[in-house]
Amino acid sequence: MSLLENIGSAVIKLIKSFTDIINFAWKILIRIFNRNTYTSAMRTVLIDQIYFTSVQILPIFLITSIAFGSLLIGVLFLQLKQLGLTQYFGHVLMGLIVTEFSPFVTVLLITLRSGSAINTEIAVMKVNKEMSALEAFRIDVINYLMVPRVINGVISIVLLSTLFSVVLLGSGILFSGLIFGMSIDAYSNVLLNSANFSDIVIALLKSVVFGFFIILIPVRFGLQASHELTSIPIVVSRGMVNVFAAILTIEVLSLIIKLF
Amino acid sequence: MRNFIKNHPQQAALVSIDVPLISNQSVLMNIALIKQYHENMPTAKAEPIVFSALRRLNLENIAFKRNPDLNDEERFFAMLLRAVMVRDALVIIDRPLKIVPHMKNIDYIFQALKNIENLYLNCHIYDYDWMREKYGELSR
Amino acid sequence: MKREVKVGLFIVCTAVIICLALLYLANEKGFFAGNYIFTLSSQSGDGFTEGMPVEFSGFTIGKVQKLELNDKGLVLIKIKIPQKHLKWIKIDSTFTLYRPLIGAARIIVTTDNLKSAALPEDKIPEVQIVNDINDSIEKVQPLLDKTTQIAENLEQVSSKIDVMAGKADMHVFGSEGTVPQVNKILKDVNGKLERLNPTIDNVNKISTEASEGLKDIGILRSNVDDTLNAVEDVAKGVDSIISTKKEPEIKLP
Repeated sequence: MSLLENIGSAVIKLIKSFTDIINFAWKILIRIFNRNTYTSAMRTVLIDQIYFTSVQILPIFLITSIAFGSLLIGVLFLQLKQLGLTQYFGHVLMGLIVTEFSPFVTVLLITLRSGSAINTEIAVMKVNKEMSALEAFRIDVINYLMVPRVINGVISIVLLSTLFSVVLLGSGILFSGLIFGMSIDAYSNVLLNSANFSDIVIALLKSVVFGFFIILIPVRFGLQASHELTSIPIVVSRGMVNVFAAILTIEVLSLIIKLF
Repeated sequence: MRNFIKNHPQQAALVSIDVPLISNQSVLMNIALIKQYHENMPTAKAEPIVFSALRRLNLENIAFKRNPDLNDEERFFAMLLRAVMVRDALVIIDRPLKIVPHMKNIDYIFQALKNIENLYLNCHIYDYDWMREKYGELSR
Repeated sequence: MKREVKVGLFIVCTAVIICLALLYLANEKGFFAGNYIFTLSSQSGDGFTEGMPVEFSGFTIGKVQKLELNDKGLVLIKIKIPQKHLKWIKIDSTFTLYRPLIGAARIIVTTDNLKSAALPEDKIPEVQIVNDINDSIEKVQPLLDKTTQIAENLEQVSSKIDVMAGKADMHVFGSEGTVPQVNKILKDVNGKLERLNPTIDNVNKISTEASEGLKDIGILRSNVDDTLNAVEDVAKGVDSIISTKKEPEIKLP
């Protein structure tokens, strides 16, 4: 009986936290599309957030994407050549690198760097009573703190993952020339043939959904902190585990959508 | 005090140890935030107002400091300035001696309040009864 | 630089990159250019699918938009060609449905004379069908027959060689063979050795010559063995070729 009870309570907990996230997401979404949300204060926060999440890491992001991307493309092309699958490299580039790999790596990077930071930041603000300070001054916490962060997540993921793709396709020119002896013209022709509008749209949409949830979930869990300092690590780890689960879920869902 | 806030929900502006400054933003941003949020005032317009208010208290040097870098007086005045940024502010100072524990004489606060007199409508100071003597003549 | 400027710069630059990439893609895919529809015909719709690529010199220049069956039972294939690829399709172009053994089927356009007049949209050229699978089976069939023959011949040859090898063995090692006789001679010589000391050098000479002869015979035998093995290998190879080539023949209609 206790086993059944455990299973039952676990499932109920899961469903509860899932509906809680969806409810919260809906609340944020409504605010995003409300013009009154965009006050001068909120815009300042939004600019700060984009600055911290995207602009500040841009040099490192570009360097890693160039180094890592070139390496990956080189290894991939060599493998394709050895297996005699040269004619499929366009599909591999567009279908795997651009639509799957770039968003995924970007999401991992942003989650590790900004997701965890935001989770902690919100939890610390809660513990410090800064949230109640904002409320005392009749400043809506959702409008002022949450919405800019979530919008920043969407913008950053979409822009950075596109940038990542562009860098990878750029290093593809170099390696297709070196490994396959391919001209730029032939390379772009192969890419164009394998490029599918629906795939690109799905990849962009996926980036949007990724950006929305990988910031929303840390924010939500950060809010669950109590007024004790010890609650910070608890909500941060819980938040990050949930973000990980969300990333996997979104990835699987996008693959299912792609199949049909 | 609670009743007072309830009666003036739009004007009440608290200065209290329980309403801290936002620690990951500068004093300047903390004070400007009120104008930016309540009146949707652009940053470029809100910041000069904050600077002029800080100047009145000779505190321009703390504009870019953050909460942990401030001493008790600076923190108190930053909170006070934030409060007076509320439109037609009814400033409520909750237990000022909790914010600035080593303050000997409350006149210090009154001097500051006088300097920024035109920025707020009214000011109420709430404190425990046994602190009465600290307020000297005013308490009578 | 101010933070706002940096953020603005970042957003504008990346947004421009995204838009340019999408526009380039749309342009290259012919979203903005006008498309021309040509109609091709075929006796059978077998192997045609909607969305199938149309290629010229290995480059995709269009795709099959629609398949229709007309009143005469002919299959009409409508292909969509963007304006910029129009120049490859001329009145004397040939259209071939190519179904490779591996990979997707496609329609291949070949134009020998690029200077001839453009193909009018109301003309309906017929599609020739090249079927890699059937073609290769046709090509392989005579080859298969030949290899079978070769295999049979080889088998005969190898059995003959077997017999010959047996005979050679008899000659060398049999009771009337060379080796026992040489042994006999040697024994005789040995017996006479003690008595015929002065002639010992001569006898030695004879015996060494005899053993050299023995070696030669051994080499001869190993040569015969090698040839036999080689022939066997060839026979096996042919067998395996026959067996692998036979499978697709059975499976296909």
